Parts: sequence; C-alpha cells; structure tokens
Amino acid sequence: METERTYSFGGRPGGDARPEEPAPEEQAQTDPVPHVPDDTPVDIEEAFRDSNVQEVLDKLDRELVGLKPIKTRIKETAALLLVDRVRAGVGLPAAVPSLHMSFTGNPGTGKTTVAMRMAEILHRLEYVRKGHLVTVTRDQLVGQYIGHTAPKTKEILKKAMGGVLFIDEAYYLHRPENERDYGSEAIETLLQVMENQRDDLVVILAGYKDRMDQFFQNNPGMHSRIAHHMDFPDYSAEELLDISKLMMEEQQYRFSPEAEETFKEYIELRMQRPNFSNARSVRNALERARLRQANRLFAGGGKGLTKRDLMTIEAEDFRASRVFTELEGNSADGG
Amino acid sequence: MKVTQGTFSFLPELTDEQIKAQIEYALDQGWAVNVEYTDDPHPRNTYWEMWGLPMFDLRDPVGVMEEVQACRDAHPNHYIRVGAFDSTRGWETLRLSFIVNRPEREPGFRLVRQEVDGRQIRYTIESYAVTGNPEGERYGD
Amino acid sequence: MSETLKGAERYKAGVIPYAKMGYWEADYEPKPTDIIALFRISPQEGVDPIEAAAAVAGESSTATWTVVWTDRLTAADLYRAKAYKVDAVPGAEGQYFAYIAYDYDLFEEGSIANLTASIIGNVFGFKALKSLRLEDMYFPPAYLKTFQGPATGIVAERERLDKYGRPLLGATTKPKLGLSARNYGRVVYEALKGGLDFVKDDENINSQPFMKWRERYLYCMEAVNRASAATGEVKGHYLNVTAGTMEEMIRRAEFAKELGSVIIMIDLIVGYTAIQSMAKWCYDNDMILHLHRAGHGTYTRQKTHGISFRVICKWMRMAGVDHIHAGTVVGKLEGDPNMVQGFYDVLREPYLHKNLQQGIFFDQDWASLKKVMPVASGGIHAGQMHQLLHYLGEDVILQFGGGTIGHPDGIEAGATANRVAVEAMIQARNEGRDIMNEGPEILQEAARWCSPLGVALDLWKDITFDYASTDTGDYVPTETPGS
Repeated sequence: METERTYSFGGRPGGDARPEEPAPEEQAQTDPVPHVPDDTPVDIEEAFRDSNVQEVLDKLDRELVGLKPIKTRIKETAALLLVDRVRAGVGLPAAVPSLHMSFTGNPGTGKTTVAMRMAEILHRLEYVRKGHLVTVTRDQLVGQYIGHTAPKTKEILKKAMGGVLFIDEAYYLHRPENERDYGSEAIETLLQVMENQRDDLVVILAGYKDRMDQFFQNNPGMHSRIAHHMDFPDYSAEELLDISKLMMEEQQYRFSPEAEETFKEYIELRMQRPNFSNARSVRNALERARLRQANRLFAGGGKGLTKRDLMTIEAEDFRASRVFTELEGNSADGG
Repeated sequence: MKVTQGTFSFLPELTDEQIKAQIEYALDQGWAVNVEYTDDPHPRNTYWEMWGLPMFDLRDPVGVMEEVQACRDAHPNHYIRVGAFDSTRGWETLRLSFIVNRPEREPGFRLVRQEVDGRQIRYTIESYAVTGNPEGERYGD
Repeated sequence: MSETLKGAERYKAGVIPYAKMGYWEADYEPKPTDIIALFRISPQEGVDPIEAAAAVAGESSTATWTVVWTDRLTAADLYRAKAYKVDAVPGAEGQYFAYIAYDYDLFEEGSIANLTASIIGNVFGFKALKSLRLEDMYFPPAYLKTFQGPATGIVAERERLDKYGRPLLGATTKPKLGLSARNYGRVVYEALKGGLDFVKDDENINSQPFMKWRERYLYCMEAVNRASAATGEVKGHYLNVTAGTMEEMIRRAEFAKELGSVIIMIDLIVGYTAIQSMAKWCYDNDMILHLHRAGHGTYTRQKTHGISFRVICKWMRMAGVDHIHAGTVVGKLEGDPNMVQGFYDVLREPYLHKNLQQGIFFDQDWASLKKVMPVASGGIHAGQMHQLLHYLGEDVILQFGGGTIGHPDGIEAGATANRVAVEAMIQARNEGRDIMNEGPEILQEAARWCSPLGVALDLWKDITFDYASTDTGDYVPTETPGS
C-alpha cells in the first residue's frame, strides 16, 4: 500500500529518517574542554547575587528565631555549592556533590521550614530543577502487602523528582522487630534513587536525634549516602518567647505586660513536662489562650470593650492552663 | 506506511530529550500525564491499555520518562503514546497525545468495501497486523 | 431634556419623544436577567443622541411612532426597553455607544429568530439615524440556558477525531466550481493522505450541473475512507448540505450520515432558524456542524453600519454550530488582530472578560454552552504558521486551500508541508521557544528534512495581504514609553 513519492520527505510516514545531528551527549564528549587561563577573574559575589540565594537566607532569618548553628550550616552549604558552580564555569572539576541530608532534632525545632528553604536554595543554585518539597511519612512509602511497596515508593519518588523529598520520622521505615516488614523494600528503592539519580532529587531524612542515630547504625547504606547531617537544637525559653511574639504579631494579638511574664513562666514549666515540642507547643498554648480570651470577653458581658481588648491576651488567659493548675495541686484534668 | 495519529507523527521520531520537553510542558500546565500502549492502532480504537494510572501531582518529567522506558522494555513492538489530561472546567479531556514508540514494521490498513444498495459502499478499515492474530502476537513481540 | 412622563400625561394621544416615553432611564441598573444590546448610533444632524438611543430602544421593543392606549393594558414599564447609557465614541465625532437593556420576557426561549426580529428587526431603517451598528450584546445565563449550544463542541470534536494539542488542518477544494465529482474526490484524497484532517466544500458548492450533490458525497466518502486507511487517522470532509429548502438540507444531511461522514456544513445565508434546525439535527445524529460565514461581510465590515461579527459569533454559539469562520489576522480577508482575537474569545472562552481593546464590552458567563472551533481560512500558508499559532492559538482549524492545492509538487506535498509546519511549530512552542521571533527559523529547520515545506516556504515567502482593516477597535492602548 506504499505509494512512491518523488520528493524527499525525511519524516514522512514510513520513513525513519532522523535529523543527522549527533545526540547532545556525543557532542559533549567530542567537544574539547575550552582552555581557561588560570588568571581568569571570577566574581563569586556576582554569582551569589545572580542566584538570589540571599533572599532565601533573609526569609529564613525572618521566619525562624535563633537556630544560629543551623543557619550557619545552611550558609556554608550554599557557599560550597555556589563555589562548585563557579568552578564548573571555568572548567574546573566539580563532582556532582551528594546533597542528601539528615535533619535531626526534637519536634517543633524548624526542620520542615528549613527543608523548604533548602529546596529553594538548591533550586536557585540549579542543583534541583523545580525546587518543590514533598513531605511524607512511612505510611505514604510502605505498603500493606507483597508487591505494594515498590510502586508506592516509586509514585512518591516521581512526585518528588526535580525537588526535595522530606521523610519525617524516617526511622519508622525500619522495623527490625518485624522481619516481614515491607519498610526495608522502601529503603532499598530509596537507596537506588539516592545513588543513581542525584541530579533528579535530594532526600532529607528527619526525626529525633537518638532514633536517627540508631536507624543509621542499622542501615549503613543509608548512612553512607547522607553527606550533610544537621542537628537542630531545642529552643531556649527566651527564643520561644520571641517566637511566640512573632506568632502573636502575625495574628494581630499582643501580650499585656503581666501576660508576657506569665507566659515566660509557662514556657519554663512546659519545657519540663513530657511531650514538649518547642515551637509547636508554643503555638498550641497561644491557640488555647485565644480561646480563653474570647470566653473571658464574652463572659464579661461584652460592655465597654475596645479594639485593644480584642487584641490583648491577659495573664489569666494562661493561668487557667493545666501547666499551672497541676502545679498548684489541682485536678489533673481539663485544659 | 506510518500511522500518523498523535500530535507529532509527521516529525522525525522524537528523541527522549524531545519527549521529555513535551512532558515538561504538559506538567507545567498542571496536566496529569499517562502512558498507554496497544497493538491495535485502528483509528477508532480509543482505549489503549493503560500503563498504570495517569500520574498526578508530578513536577518533573523524569518520573514519566521512567514509565515510558519501562513500557518500551515490556512492549518494544507496540504503539506507545503519552497523553496529558487537563481537569479544568470546560476541558476535562486530553490536551496533548503523542506516540513515543511504534513497531518496527507497520503494515497498515486495508480498506474493505462492501457493496450495498445502489452505488453505496459500506467501508471497514482492517489492520493487516491485527486480522487473524491475537493480542500480543501482532507485531512480532 | 428627558424627564420621563408619568400616568395619564404619558399616554395622552399624540407624538411625544421616545426619551420622555420611558425608553431613556439614566439611572437604570440592568437586572441580572436583562439582555443588553450595545449599538453604535450616528444620529442625523441636530438629533439629540439620547433621544436617538431612546428611539432605538423603543423601536426594538414596545414602541411605535405614536402613543397607543393599549399600552395601558400591559405591564408596559417592564416590557419597555431602556436606554441607560450613551457614551461618545472615542475619536469618532457624531458617533455614540448606546446601551439598551431588555427584559428577558421580551424574547422567546431558544430562538435566535425571535431575538433578532426585535433587536435588528426595524431599527436599522430609522430616518432619525444616519447609521446604526449592533456592536455587542450581553446575554444572562438564564436566557443562554434555553439554547442548545454547539452540537458537538471543541472537546467532543477532538475526542471523536482523536486529535489533540495542535490546530486542525483543512483545505477548501479548488477550483471552487466546475470539477466533476470524480476529480473533486481526488483532491480530497490527496490532501487528506498528505496530512490534512479535513477537506471542505466551498460555500457555493451545492448541486450544480457539473456535479450533483449525491455524486459528490459518494466520491468524497471514498476519498475520506481511503485516506483514513492510508494514515490510520480519522479524517473528514465537510459535505455542504446547503439547499433551497429545509427539507432538502435534512435529506442531504441524512445521506451524509448514511455514508459515515463525521461532519456536514451549511452557509450562514441559510438563515438563523435553518441553522438552529441543523444544529439540532447534528446534536441528534452525532455530527459536527461546520458553518461557512457566507454573506456576513455585507453587514459586518463597515464600522458604522450593520452588526459586528462578534455578535454573530455569540448568536452562532447559541444557535449551536461547531465551526465558524472567524478570520485569520494574516490572510486575504478583513480582520484587525485585536478584533479577530475578540471573536475567537467569544467562541472559545467559558467566561468572557470585558476587553475594550478587543471590542468585548461585557463580562459574559457562557453558562457552560460548549466551545465553538473557530476556522481561519483565506490566503494563509505554511510560512505564517508561527503568526497563526501566536494570534489564533491551538484550538482553531487552519484552512490552507490555495496553500495546499497550489503546491508545485502536488496536493499531497502541499498538505504535508502544512502538517509538518504545524507540528514543528507546536513542538517548538511547547519546548519554550519564542515562536514569534524564531518562527521562520523553526520552519527552515523543518524544511531541511521536509522538502515539500521548503518548496512552500520558498514559493509563498513574499505573500502578505497588508491592507488597513476597516473594522477596527475604538479603544487603542496608549503606548507607555519604554514598555
């Protein structure tokens, strides 16, 4: 059923001609590395400006109180990556660095926020193509039955391609007590991608320090692929108070002077109690205080109130908290 | 002959880099991309076999390319196409669909003419490869 | 001047100005269910524009030249159309935009004929006006919902054809007149096999002595099926069913269906009711309806007279056609780029946003009426592919009649040139290339391996139709220096 055609039509139906140009990778191999003289000036500052990374660092500074060591580490990492870029630009070897990281620390110490900014920085320095963050836990990676896990993990990996995959409480992937657990299958799949597709995505594992250490001990393969370990310290009481003020400002609330004192006291007490989770506990405490404030205003009959009253949290809004009431030997139940 | 279904069938076969660029375009539009294959390329064969579900929430084409390659490995002599689904109101359909793999030899279709009333003819399009061969044995896989 | 008269004073026998009869209400706020018409009016010397607008409102709704007492037996205040805004047209002395609101009870549901009998029925002959033009209309969703809308729509058309992500390609068989059916079918076959999706009858191909309609249909369907088998694609030929009577059109459509055609066509000159009937028939028979806008130039082209084509586009989307010729920007027929883009938006968008530069005067929710596929036809060729894609987008049918059949290496080569050009351009656009600037280069790249494209680019490289448009926008954007 083929008909003869007299004209040449390379891509015509039935034809299999391709443009006669070498594929890009072949070209790269045959192209000699252009010689760049050693005294070629390089402008790291300009490269840094062009990347707009400072903007992200500033954002991080605004968003997160304290965390000095982490912020320093981020800056150092950014500097390393930037210099690698500039080196590559003048023909110096710059190995594709391993960028997988582990973020350890207690809950509420800013790991997710830093991960988000890290993704942005990596994107601006062109180490990841898209710069989005995909946050998952064990449930999204590990299946319930045979053959379920690999596709599940792969689906998540596909979504994370071009960005950063953040696995929270990563140690749950490994359950040594259950030898038929499918978590190890997820780990296998992750390891492969972490090794072979470093250009395609960066993995950040996160969780409590001690449990992560244990996890790495049991999974040396994982440990060896993580180049950057960052330990997020707990916040001091002072820092937590600063954080609380930021949170309050965001929502247009403020402490009365007594309330501020009381809340400081609250934080110190709360830090001693179980399940303390840093900034998250502060946020929850403020939420409950808002609730009590509303009820206080309402119970007062709502007469003679001003805008200021709507914005102010008073000491008594904290005093009713269990943290104080239990201290005074009152009932352990209730808010 | 060359089956010229799909958005780019008149161009030389797309390289993987070119396929990736098209997938990236689709993902940037917020479309979900899927891979389908068949050994029955009849123009009215709407439902090719799905190589997995459409991939939702992807940002980067690498994941799709892996599926394209996996499908090629499994069905080297089938037609394989990539489709992009748009879920916005007023569309809710494919917005791009192109072939990324085809059999080595494409024998094409025979036009079967059945003479009916008067000068009318009832037409049927029959695939030389499909006729008489069961699924999976049509293009020498 | 125009203080509305009330009660007995209003209905006293005699002649009173329209404005005073209540056809002018400066502070009227259109109801969400009102239909609004925007006219460009050019009053005679000495005629107050407000009175002229009121006269148009009156004459296109309830009024006659004199007061009638029978008005008082009706809810006349409701039925009276209300001119509520008159703006001077920027840069055009003696011309005014008059906004007139109509209650939806004035119109029968689902009838373009009834709508147009009111809106353009009598008023164009008005002596008090030098000229009149219907510029735009707004239709409330409640009224739109009484229309079927496109029989198929862009989405279902693409699904039926299994063609996505690029403009569809067509060609009109040439010469328009004189070919025998057998020779005519040859053109169809070559063009479809070469890569076009559709071939088309011309507007005046019906059933002439040189080619009876049944003969044409039979040969065209042989060509369509043969091309489909040769390519593995769904192909089509718009069989023109336009005829002297409605019965004959239906008869021809039935025959086209019997032969397995996916599409039929009609001409705009068959009239609104016939168009709606055919749209209904197509809806019931899984057929795509192509409309050739034959005759529209007689009333759409001059800026001060007639009906803007954007109004025709709105009516046709309501009436239910699937394709309509809507301009090319770069081809041989009238079409200012802004105006044409406005027409395309009217046909394709689910929601229209007011855009004075493109002549869209109203926000318009299309109430989920399907999208109409615009057709660009007339003097376009492969060398303009980047411009066509830039101006018209990908949901359009590009009709390359001369640009296919006039190819020196034959029709099939001409079709291939067009198909390669469109696919290469879509590919480049999707890859993020700046097609408006790199377009010629992209085409040359493709021509390196596709010689028919090279020949086409070379032959038509200097062909442009660069005449000033007559139907242009009234709102020109002010250029900001340095932008």
